Amino acid sequence: MKRKSLAILLSAVMVVAGCLAGCGSSGDDSTPAQTQEQEQKSEPAAEGGDEAEAPAEGGGSNLDESLALFDEAVATLMTTDGHPMLAPGVTFDVPAAEGTAEELEALDDSDSAKWHFYEYLDWDESQDAEFPASPADGCKGKHVIMIVHGAHAWTTCFSEAFEQACEAVGMTCDIYDPNWDQSTQDGYIDQAINEQPDAIGVIPVSADHAAQQFKKITDAGIPAFCVNTTVNADAMNYVMAFTGPNDWYQMRTLADSLGEAMNGEGGVAYITHNVGGSPYYARCYGPLTELAEKYPNIKTLDIQSPGFEAAAVKQVVADWITKHGDDLKAIVLADDSDQAIGTVEAIKAANRSDILVVAAGISKQGAELVESGDLYMMSYQSCQGDAGLAVRTMAEYFNGVDISRVSYIGTDVINKDNVADFTPCQW
Amino acid sequence: MSEQVNNNPNPAKVDTRKTEINKGIILFNKLGIWVIVVALVVMGMIIAMVNGGSFFGASNVQSILEAVALQGMVCSGLIYVVYAGNMNDMSIPLTMAMAGMMTVQSINLGFPIALAIGLLSGVCIGLINGFMIGKLKANPIIWTWGFNLLLSGIIRVVWGGKQLYADSVAADTEYAQNAANTFYSISRTYIGGVISLMAIVMLVLFAISWFIHSKTSFGQKLKLVGTSYEAARFSGINCTKVVTMSYVLCSTAAAVGGIFYAALRKTASYENGTGYDFSCLTCVLLGGTLLGGGQGSVVGTLGGVLAYGILNNILSWIGLGTYTKYAVQGVVFLAIVWINTYSERKLGKG
Repeated sequence: MKRKSLAILLSAVMVVAGCLAGCGSSGDDSTPAQTQEQEQKSEPAAEGGDEAEAPAEGGGSNLDESLALFDEAVATLMTTDGHPMLAPGVTFDVPAAEGTAEELEALDDSDSAKWHFYEYLDWDESQDAEFPASPADGCKGKHVIMIVHGAHAWTTCFSEAFEQACEAVGMTCDIYDPNWDQSTQDGYIDQAINEQPDAIGVIPVSADHAAQQFKKITDAGIPAFCVNTTVNADAMNYVMAFTGPNDWYQMRTLADSLGEAMNGEGGVAYITHNVGGSPYYARCYGPLTELAEKYPNIKTLDIQSPGFEAAAVKQVVADWITKHGDDLKAIVLADDSDQAIGTVEAIKAANRSDILVVAAGISKQGAELVESGDLYMMSYQSCQGDAGLAVRTMAEYFNGVDISRVSYIGTDVINKDNVADFTPCQW
Repeated sequence: MSEQVNNNPNPAKVDTRKTEINKGIILFNKLGIWVIVVALVVMGMIIAMVNGGSFFGASNVQSILEAVALQGMVCSGLIYVVYAGNMNDMSIPLTMAMAGMMTVQSINLGFPIALAIGLLSGVCIGLINGFMIGKLKANPIIWTWGFNLLLSGIIRVVWGGKQLYADSVAADTEYAQNAANTFYSISRTYIGGVISLMAIVMLVLFAISWFIHSKTSFGQKLKLVGTSYEAARFSGINCTKVVTMSYVLCSTAAAVGGIFYAALRKTASYENGTGYDFSCLTCVLLGGTLLGGGQGSVVGTLGGVLAYGILNNILSWIGLGTYTKYAVQGVVFLAIVWINTYSERKLGKG
């Protein structure tokens, strides 16, 4: 009987506790979009103090403060290798495609026209969604959510730089990392929309899947920014702005220098990025088409995708050296760390110092290999600059400045003579 | 009552089933994966000849051995876990990563001490795995997979998701910088200018592994535990100790691989060793070790490792594209596993 009473008492206590907890949590969690929106909107006012509460014409003093903060950040915030982190983006004119996507697909791999829709974000602007207008009240106090693609040393560097840049222009941010998982990233998109931030940035895990992600964000009335990784043309209809590296351009630039160093003769082999991603096409077919167009006597010997393990790359390169012998004059790499180490080790083991190696950069390993002369050249792709350009574009949007739909970070060709200008490396 | 009529002209029943066992099956069962290795070598020689090269050229042999050295190091220990009937050690990737991180982090203490600390991290991981699986009977796959995640989280939290460079971690003293340089050099040293130290370490680990497996009482006990855990237990064998030891050997071998891996790529990172759990298991299974345990050999595992490397080498000689390579590798591996299983069944072993 006592046990029964005790059980009833315990059950009653649990029910009451449950109700209380439920009430409490519903109070806290009842952050339906509107509530959160109010909270978000109140943040600028709180941070901006009295001035923000009484905005003047055209955005008021918060805008003035934001512009001042922005100018100061642009002038003072530097990457660890000494370059402006919030440098303005670079834009390119998109040439007309020489046919439909289907027609171009039939062209030879060495024809640059084939890759038009891979290289350029050439989308039909008439299909653009209705983007939210800029509040033009200043970036100070705005809250943004950045959803990256996955854990990696590059991502850590990017995230830190993004936070630093946001802080410098008076914005706050949250960064979500789905660890390379598509469905987790989709979940974070939903979560971010529910939190109603002032903007959402995404580095898509998959270019093919990005259209749905950006459509969701834009349909929710939140400005969507695509960062670092290019997406399919149909996704751009829902992207307020893309910022990131111009892989194609920088690899073409690298190929120009390589072709010149080869005197327009010899065989080139390519180690690619992960098959199917945008860097795969850009870092392989960018230089391949450039060399084919400008140096017709340079032949493509092989294209392989052994991944990013130095030992696996080393075997592929060692096999190339044995198989192609003196015909192999140069190797183009999609990565300047593990791929470069594997390649250089294979070349050293075979005593073939005549083989020129170029890579997309820039990592510490790559910079050291350029310094030692083992890596002939590499491209400069600033991780912190990538984060900086994303923040700059978002801040400009909040400040009411017209932003480009597509803007790229600056690039450079790094060789033994100028490598010191790009060190210490960012990650 | 009707009488049944026997129409069989031969009243005595003759068993006409085929009992003769194909000699090829017997040969394959005895020599195992080495038949495949020899076949691949012959194929490699022909393909290299057609391409105007030499399969047995120093650079080609070096290339094959170096390409499989890291996997081989890990396989020399993984075979104990598989043999004991615990299928796979899913914590191999982060064991490798942790060993690299610990070695680089302690590089200021000098290379030998840093190396010892890296190896010790492997031993500790093995002990934890062994205790949980051997003593507390945790599911080996679920536990090691979960532990892999835990290690990943620990590394990311402790080092902030960053890569560690030995020369950056090393203090600005000659002693520390020398230690960092020595660390980098271990994956770049060629004995006699020809054979890489990595390949030699792999072969030494296989030799030690063979000795432990074949010549020690632990090896004998392991065979019994792998064949029948309950029978071993009732025979008075301390199964917990045997299973724990198998994990310690596995994680220590993985730690050796992890240290060389970090030295080769000149950086320690949580992503070092990604994919080694399955690629190494593939080599162990190719070598004839059964996933259920109790059958296999260290020599066979070495054969599996070499077959993996030689096949890659041949496919590069042929010049196949990446996708085709994957397809061919898959077909060859499935064929080897099928032949293994078939020969075992035919001989009544499977």
